[in-house]
Amino acid sequence: MTALLRYQAAILLRSHRWIFPLIAYGLLIAVGAAGSSSLAQTLDWSGAMLVPITAFLTRAMLTAEPDAARACVAAAAGGPARVQLATLIIPLGGGALLGLAGVVFDVLTAEAAAAPGSGGLAAKVTAVAQHPGIVAGGLLIALVCLLVGSAAGALCNPPLLRHPAAAMLSTLAAIILGLAADVSPASAAIGHAGAQATGPLAAHWPGAGALLGAVCVVAVTWGISVAAATRRDNWSASSG
Amino acid sequence: MRADMRGDMRLVAVGKRYGIRRPWVVRGFSAGLPPGRLVRVTGPNGSGKSTLLRVVAGVSRPSAGQVTGRPHCGYVPERFPGGLPFSGREYLLHLARVHGLRGDASAAAVDEWLGRLGAASYADQPVRSMSKGMGQKMALAQALLPSPGLLVLDEAWTGLDSAARGALDAAVTERVAAGGTVLFVDHDPARLAGLEDERWDFGSPGQVTVLAGPAPVAVLPSVVPAAPRPQLVTIRLEAADAAAAVERVRAIDGIRVISVDAAGTAGTAQEPGR
Repeated sequence: MTALLRYQAAILLRSHRWIFPLIAYGLLIAVGAAGSSSLAQTLDWSGAMLVPITAFLTRAMLTAEPDAARACVAAAAGGPARVQLATLIIPLGGGALLGLAGVVFDVLTAEAAAAPGSGGLAAKVTAVAQHPGIVAGGLLIALVCLLVGSAAGALCNPPLLRHPAAAMLSTLAAIILGLAADVSPASAAIGHAGAQATGPLAAHWPGAGALLGAVCVVAVTWGISVAAATRRDNWSASSG
Repeated sequence: MRADMRGDMRLVAVGKRYGIRRPWVVRGFSAGLPPGRLVRVTGPNGSGKSTLLRVVAGVSRPSAGQVTGRPHCGYVPERFPGGLPFSGREYLLHLARVHGLRGDASAAAVDEWLGRLGAASYADQPVRSMSKGMGQKMALAQALLPSPGLLVLDEAWTGLDSAARGALDAAVTERVAAGGTVLFVDHDPARLAGLEDERWDFGSPGQVTVLAGPAPVAVLPSVVPAAPRPQLVTIRLEAADAAAAVERVRAIDGIRVISVDAAGTAGTAQEPGR
């Protein structure tokens, strides 16, 4: 499995398919950081933006490898299920790295709410260190959004949806639903956070239900995607 | 995932279709694949040869029946498009590790097969810039480098230069001699002519006929519906080694030889649910 993960990670890195999600995420969190009034609010936004980024990173990975190359690896690895699992794990890991980088960026650029007026990076880090709940809550919200994004990407792309246009549109729709629909764990996490006390030092926490829901959604969608990968041979839209 | 010690590889009533409303590409196909067997798969284009090879290789799961005891497998697809962001050597090193080879062993195996297939000079070229033949050699090298117990070649010879075709012929006979099982499809009837132990022929849609021996000696109707009662099949053998063929049929799990008459006609029964 390690060799398989290395191979898939190498495909993602060497194909430069990570560049667009990286730039998009950078722009989105920069906008969010500029428009938010507290660190907790900024972290909510950065977390929410992981839904589209992880979904498209997952799509990038699921469409990176030609069918024939995938077949060779499946035979070598002892089955297509492991290959598909590795293909889903890598963008999840990539999204997690982006999410962590986003949290670091937010902490370093936030208006130091705890110590207004002090501008140094060290002062900001110390201020946050005194309120670890803010960052911990932000990380948990990011985790929920990461999982929802991965689920959206897995459900709306090959091998389940093979036609490129249909896959793109439904990925977009799934992202919007993931962020806006009440039933989505991501929107529940963010909504739950927004409904909490809004003092500048208050931490935002996702509900336990949102966290549990996100884990379930990922387990189900990954399961469906892996099952489909073991049954289909041709992933391209034109072939049956 | 690695070599299975539970016994020989076998296909048990294997069926494959790409959706519940789609026709069966292969249906109810049973066969044994013991070590050291060389099987040629024949049939017209689109008859389902590639699908069966993918099921045998474990690249796709059968829709019905099962494949048991599959050894470690190397698979060469009929086309190897170079859409990968690696050089040939990097690709092979990755695949060697996925096959389970470690550090030095994987580098040595990669060098050995690049040399044998005559691909060493362009191994550092990006895969996406390779010609059909060069790419085909990369696909071959990745399948051959772990010395797999099962080698599945789907028109692997197409696009190769004559030296590489010879090297592949040699690699196949080497694998079989070492106790490996090899299945291949090739539209050149002269390919490995006379060496194959068995021929699996796709005649009518969904049906595969096993023709044993370099010269076909037996015909075994292979469509086995999920019948509640044992299915009776009569086989007519027209060959000097009919007795040996009957012994091989007798050895197939789930099949009982009921009677053999002097003319070499055997009545066999396939037990239900096997």
